[in-house]
Amino acid sequence: MNIRDRKLAPIWDKIQQGQRLTLADGLALYTTQDVIALGRMANEVQQAKSGDAVYFVLNQKIEHTNICVLSCKFCDFAAKKGDERAYEMTTEDVLAKLTPEIREVHITGGMPPDWPWERYLDLVRTIHHRLPEADVKAFTAVEIDFFHKKFRMSIEEVLRQLQAAGLKTMPGGGAEIFSERVRKLLFNQKIGAKGWFDVHSTAHRLGIPTNSTMLYGHVETLEERLIHMIKLRDAQDETGGFLTFIPLAFQPGETGIKPRNMFTSAIDDLKTIAVSRLMLDNFPHIKAYWVMLTEEVTSVALNFGADDIDGTVGGEKIAHDAGATSPTTIAKEKLIQMIRDAGKIPVERDVYYNPIHVYADNVIGKIPYLNSVPFHAHLEKQQFRLLPVVPRRMGVLAAQGELDAGLFSLMDFLRLEDVLEPLGWCIATRDQVKSVMLFSKEGWRDLEGKTIGITDDTATSVQLLRVLLEKKYHVHATFERLHAGVNDCSRFDAVLLIGDEALRHNKAGLDGFELVFDLASEWYEWQKLPFVFAVWAIRKALPEESRRDLAGLLERSLDACGDDFASIAGTHGRRIGLTEAETQEYLEGFNYKLGEREQEAIRVFRRFQAELAASGVGNGDSREG
Amino acid sequence: MYVQDILAKAREGERITREEGIELYRHAELLDLAEAANEIRFRKNPGQQVTFVVDTNPNYSNVCTIDCIFCAFYRHPGEEGEYTYTVDHMIGKFKESAGHGVTTVLLQGGVHPSLPFDYYKELVRRTRKEVPEVFPHFFSTSEIIGMAHGAGMSTEQVLRELWDAGLRSLPGGGAEILSDRVKKKISRLKGTSADWAGVMKQAHRIGYKTTATMMYGHLENEEDVVEHLELVRQIQDEGNGFTAFIPWSFKPGNTPLEKIIPHYATPTRYLQMIAFSRLYLDNLPHIQASWFSEGKKTGQMALHFGADDFGGTLQEENVHAAANFVNTTSTEECVRLIHDAGFSAAQRTTLYEILRVIPTAEVAV
Ligand code: SF4
Ligand code: SF4
Repeated sequence: MNIRDRKLAPIWDKIQQGQRLTLADGLALYTTQDVIALGRMANEVQQAKSGDAVYFVLNQKIEHTNICVLSCKFCDFAAKKGDERAYEMTTEDVLAKLTPEIREVHITGGMPPDWPWERYLDLVRTIHHRLPEADVKAFTAVEIDFFHKKFRMSIEEVLRQLQAAGLKTMPGGGAEIFSERVRKLLFNQKIGAKGWFDVHSTAHRLGIPTNSTMLYGHVETLEERLIHMIKLRDAQDETGGFLTFIPLAFQPGETGIKPRNMFTSAIDDLKTIAVSRLMLDNFPHIKAYWVMLTEEVTSVALNFGADDIDGTVGGEKIAHDAGATSPTTIAKEKLIQMIRDAGKIPVERDVYYNPIHVYADNVIGKIPYLNSVPFHAHLEKQQFRLLPVVPRRMGVLAAQGELDAGLFSLMDFLRLEDVLEPLGWCIATRDQVKSVMLFSKEGWRDLEGKTIGITDDTATSVQLLRVLLEKKYHVHATFERLHAGVNDCSRFDAVLLIGDEALRHNKAGLDGFELVFDLASEWYEWQKLPFVFAVWAIRKALPEESRRDLAGLLERSLDACGDDFASIAGTHGRRIGLTEAETQEYLEGFNYKLGEREQEAIRVFRRFQAELAASGVGNGDSREG
Repeated sequence: MYVQDILAKAREGERITREEGIELYRHAELLDLAEAANEIRFRKNPGQQVTFVVDTNPNYSNVCTIDCIFCAFYRHPGEEGEYTYTVDHMIGKFKESAGHGVTTVLLQGGVHPSLPFDYYKELVRRTRKEVPEVFPHFFSTSEIIGMAHGAGMSTEQVLRELWDAGLRSLPGGGAEILSDRVKKKISRLKGTSADWAGVMKQAHRIGYKTTATMMYGHLENEEDVVEHLELVRQIQDEGNGFTAFIPWSFKPGNTPLEKIIPHYATPTRYLQMIAFSRLYLDNLPHIQASWFSEGKKTGQMALHFGADDFGGTLQEENVHAAANFVNTTSTEECVRLIHDAGFSAAQRTTLYEILRVIPTAEVAV
């Protein structure tokens, strides 16, 4: 990287070493004239997180009513009851707007004085039941707070009832800018930072992931923007429940706050995307919301750190009434085109950011866990492009023919043996692994009849758990899948976690679960064999040349690592709380070569697996691998 | 790896070949291109400064018989909506513009089949004489060729007589894509790349300064783009008469080509084009960000991708308006857009002499 602005060089060093950026760093980034260097830094950080992927969702925005008891200064959307512009949608009106391909229903609106609580619950419940494929993302913190006050329930109770009705995630609106000074000037009717964070952290505790926003380009200072980001970063450290950060450019329109043509500059927009990507090191995604940002800037923002472009949206009234110049709907094709033009791979996602479809060739699935860093640390991509994806989803995509290669979960590899060819590399344990852990309230034999929460990430580990329970300990338990992102685990008797999450909790503990079992050591003590969790494979349909290329690239990456794992994976390890020594020790516990003993281990596991299937146990899970 | 080598070569100021250009255009990442392009841009035009010109872009006539399928502007003789203004009318317009501080008039029309050559000479002569505050930047190559046909003269003769009338600068329009494979499809009657190149070379020999343009985003491929830039680079090697290169993307609205190409090329492609042309055109001093054709935000971004000029304030503009792409700005807004992008704004003449500098505030956001 060639950095023209000297101030940026030490910041880039910090980023590469995995250090946190300070407010002063943020200011240096924001005020640099070397916009391209800033973009490249953000782009590299984004690539480390989401590879070449840019996400979009087929979504519909619903604004159930524009009647609002508040009168926020900048709002061109709200009306008072009785106004000519006022409208209210019935649940049936809402359903009529939803087409079957929709995967996310985004509901926000005004706050009418007279809707009963049941009407909101009914709205969520009905959508959830009538369109099970579509997940409901609903209500900003401002609305939740309104429900809490109006219906005299705690915030937790409001959220619990909505969750029971089918609410999956929450949008991030109402954050504006976390500054009392600005709040008093512009948003004095809104809940402010404390109220906003109360709602979001409560949601996270209940297992409802949420988004976050920042409204910029009005009267706030750069410091205030950075403080806003730092507050979000601190909250994310606590709960881990934020999926994405969405900077929203202020639309002056007729608000009177700024002249109507004083839109934020394109450079400010790009800088804000890039700076937030660099400041919010613990956020998985940064969204370039095209409706507000304009298509012009959005398409470029995808090279400045944004990895999410929102979606097809449908009717975007709030932004549009205030003068956003984008058309209200762009076809999915257009989003795909925009993402491709940016040199990225378009990935259609669900509400939790699970990939549903990939619209590109030569895509390799990359397991985003510490244990597969050695494969990727020195991997030259050449013609391939990378999609970070958890093992189970990798299997789903490969079965759809939308992924060309990857480190497949053993179960998926076995299921797709007809179309996949192994590349000779795998992730296998030596004796213990520490990253497939059962966190339990009970000992093994006391799990009879109990419910175990299992991470959504895994296919093979679930089967390993099943084999251990049924064949080693002869107990039968019920499994229930968690979803991606934060979950409320307290209702389970045990929880199966894998990857970085398992490592983190192995070190820090998981509240309420006293016992921790390492599934690989359980297996080893029992069978005296390694356990193969995942196998590198490529689609047979690809030319022989691709197979050779990829096998060679993987070998070169592993060779380049040698035995020095701490230096390639130390930063990653630190992010989940491991010291360099711990990272080194952890990675030494794996074998990456698919050898004779590994093959033997696969055969033994497969036999157990077949026996279980024959006796009808565990079919529920093997369906998806 | 190869791409990185080519980029390194370009940054050293070494000329990249046609093949290397194609490789770069196909495979270089956007910000890699931008980084290299910026390095060259700041070497050629040092300082955190962007130039602009206060200009207007009227038309004397929309009558044309060339039928380019990308054009929403022209009318056939006798067709409803056709117009041709008198010299008096145009001079009146220029005077009014001069009153608003305009220093450059970019004047183009269709290729009118029957206007006498004297009309054009009169326009130039009277502009110089009666409105000395403005500098005429008149007539695309297609019009020059049209005049030559109409008057039964050579283009060289036409250029000499216009020179004698006082014309010193020509716009680079009519180039579209300088690849005959594409030209045949989109502007069959407009002449070949060699025709455009011929007029430009003659003009530069006589002493004219001109711009060079490119319209992309229709039927061209990477090779056509590189062919275009290659020709511009060759002409510049010979005559050194180009002041700036101005790419813009095809606007499909209201054109027959709309059926084939329904969408605008994305801003990302535009920025790629700006950066790429900065690298390929090693002998051109300026690359112009055409905010009026691409949008203000895209124009601002282009200033960080190798462009050093923000074009004109365009008090009047009809061609893009005819394709439903309306974008006008005032001098004040133009300066603000440049400032907001992080640069000082410098008002220039048609020939890139600086008239005044309006420095930006310290902080560039
Ligand atoms: S911004 Fe939201 S809360 Fe404020 S008036 Fe508008 S609709 Fe109501
Ligand atoms: S582009 Fe010029 S030559 Fe072609 S039809 Fe339009 S006015 Fe005529």
